[in-house]
Amino acid sequence: MPLYESVYIARPDISSTQVEALTADMTKIVEDNGGKVTKEEYWGLKSLAYRIKKNRKGHYSLLNIDAPPAALTEMERNMRIHEDILRYMSIRVDEHEEGPSAMMQSKSSRDDRDRDRDRGRGRDDDSGPKNTASPVPAAVPAPASAAAAAEVPAEPVISDDAPASDSKDTEE
Amino acid sequence: MSRRPFFRRPKSCPFSGDNAPKIDYKNVKLLQRFTSERGKIVPSRITAVSAKKQRELSTAIKRARNLALMPFLIN
Repeated sequence: MPLYESVYIARPDISSTQVEALTADMTKIVEDNGGKVTKEEYWGLKSLAYRIKKNRKGHYSLLNIDAPPAALTEMERNMRIHEDILRYMSIRVDEHEEGPSAMMQSKSSRDDRDRDRDRGRGRDDDSGPKNTASPVPAAVPAPASAAAAAEVPAEPVISDDAPASDSKDTEE
Repeated sequence: MSRRPFFRRPKSCPFSGDNAPKIDYKNVKLLQRFTSERGKIVPSRITAVSAKKQRELSTAIKRARNLALMPFLIN
């Protein structure tokens, strides 16, 4: 049986227990049609990036489904009819990911800034050798670096590094 | 002597190689790095994503947009 991932967004004014009941309903539909739901995740009440049916927020739920296509179409049909469901999306996947999805990980850790800092550190590491080289032209008086800057006027991105290496070349 | 003009060191694709992040429509943090301030998908010639991964990335971003995890446009 093919594997599916199904995400749906429920109306914000229902409670989270109602969302769970909704998920249970959908699970039942899948199981009645000979499939099974291997994992369910409730992402919580999240704010939408744009308004859907005049709503600014929605309850997100994810279902990992292993079911025949007929079961999925039946579930989607029910989702379309259901008034509390703003939107749904089902996609076929080659394999289900184990453990919590990326959404749950980012939610539980709340380490957005930490990850950003890691990214920044990674970039620093990329330009690390050049930074260590920069003290050398700093000792050299300003005109040398100014001339080098005149030689290489373009490329604002690496302009910080370019004069450093150039001035070193002219020294040698 | 001096540095070759218009020289750019080769960039490598952020999604290939070991422990590269997996492209997933649910990982909004990752996808946001590849969209502009206005929510457009940034071309691969700027982000250095390989052609194959760029195709994957664009479908992931479009899926995330459909689920209102990412905006279609920001004014």
